[in-house]
Amino acid sequence: MFQKLYKLNLIIGIFFLLLAVILLIDYLTDKAQAKSLNLYTGITFLLFGIFMCSINRNKNE
Amino acid sequence: MMPFYYGSKARSVPEYLFLRFDEKTRALNAVSFAAMTVFSSGISLYALAKLLEIILHWNFDLSIWIAAGIVMVYTFLGGLTSAVYNEVLQFFLIVMGLSPLVIVALQDAGGWAGIKASLAPEMTHAWKYMGKADSNPMGLHFSSLLFGLGFVMSFGYWCTDFLVVQRAMIARNMREARLTPVVAAFPKMLMPLIVVLPGLIAITLMQPALASKGYQIPSTDAGGPDYTLTLPSLIAHYYPSGLLGVGITALLASFMSGMAGNVTAFNSVFTYDIYQSYLARNKPDRHYLFVGKLVTVAGILISVATAYLARSFNNINDFLQLVFSFVNGPLFATFLLGMFWKRATGHGAFAGLAAGTLAAAITHGLTIAEGKGGWISPLFPIKSGMGQAFIVAGISWIANFLTCILVSLFTKPKPESELRGLVYSLTVRTRNSESPSGSLLVPLAILLLAITIVLNIIFF
Repeated sequence: MFQKLYKLNLIIGIFFLLLAVILLIDYLTDKAQAKSLNLYTGITFLLFGIFMCSINRNKNE
Repeated sequence: MMPFYYGSKARSVPEYLFLRFDEKTRALNAVSFAAMTVFSSGISLYALAKLLEIILHWNFDLSIWIAAGIVMVYTFLGGLTSAVYNEVLQFFLIVMGLSPLVIVALQDAGGWAGIKASLAPEMTHAWKYMGKADSNPMGLHFSSLLFGLGFVMSFGYWCTDFLVVQRAMIARNMREARLTPVVAAFPKMLMPLIVVLPGLIAITLMQPALASKGYQIPSTDAGGPDYTLTLPSLIAHYYPSGLLGVGITALLASFMSGMAGNVTAFNSVFTYDIYQSYLARNKPDRHYLFVGKLVTVAGILISVATAYLARSFNNINDFLQLVFSFVNGPLFATFLLGMFWKRATGHGAFAGLAAGTLAAAITHGLTIAEGKGGWISPLFPIKSGMGQAFIVAGISWIANFLTCILVSLFTKPKPESELRGLVYSLTVRTRNSESPSGSLLVPLAILLLAITIVLNIIFF
């Protein structure tokens, strides 16, 4: 299990997913116009996080 | 140059100089490089502490120690691997965390067209106003820019800076080592978009026509704009709570990554090239590992001292460029001759490096820019500190190049049998198409070159 911690793409993916969740929760709890940047950035981070987690580097190793 | 570094099995850039030339050349380079890394690390630490002071209103001295402590924990425990892993994560955070700022602020400034309409034309062109030194803000003729920055400093950074080369040296094989700088150049191209462009946007937003946007670059104690704080102030102006935390973290990440990279490079060079080579030979690996950890702590402590030195510079980028011009400028000439001229000798390389560094010091002492330099006699005024650094780099390279050739012609070179794998003409060429990653090398390099040409045409 700890071997997965060496998969950098997974760590980066999880990190951005966490940031995305924080930004999206912040937007959903306060939908002020000024916070719309949190929504767009949160969605971008979410997609990037999913992409990074889905990369399988085992084939190349 | 990667085939020579990687193929020689050297663990550091100074160790390559030992294999190619001799012990004294390695020692001189190791000492100057170690000094450069702690200066560079101190600059990152200063920026890190300044950020904590400005945005979180923490005490500057306390910020220095906290920031130094965080970097020390992960480099001490994880060494080079943790520094490289963190750098990758930090890179994505920097790009992804600062990109929304560029998009929103650029829109507010009226797009690129709005910036061009608001600013003086020499601020939005790379080459057009470089024909005369007095027609551009750097105060440089295009030949000085092309030679000092485009040739000496750029090649010096990519080919001789151990911080960069070390990442390729730990690659799994030669093909990946050769691919490392080429792949690294692509994300590096994004840096002007998230570092230079926000600076132009900030100046545009301060024009009277855009006063309604309510943005101001913070002032220095003397009353002028403090350009070092441009990016943090833009983040504070545009980012709402939530994203503001991401933006601050991205900036902290960029400074931490710079500091950790320099501290690990300092650690390697001091342990391998100074301690193991001159102070304590033939000790067990465990001993060197222990010393390496102590050096990490020492490197951080020296960085704290150099961070206070960086405080005296009104523009930390100028300080960084000046440090590079003293070390990387002359060093590039040594490598160029060492790798491509088998006649270059150890005495020549040593004399060249010494002459190059001395020439850099004399040039700095005779030129003055923004109140810096001119400590011998301020005979030659230069408009900007950055322009001064490019001239220092250019002159130090020429001094090194000529001295190394001259001394080499009068001294005995190493036998060819000792230079195999270290010099171009005595190294067997490897084909790039032996693996998928190897076959990518040439197309990627051509793509890089094409993008560079297109960008230079667009921003001519």
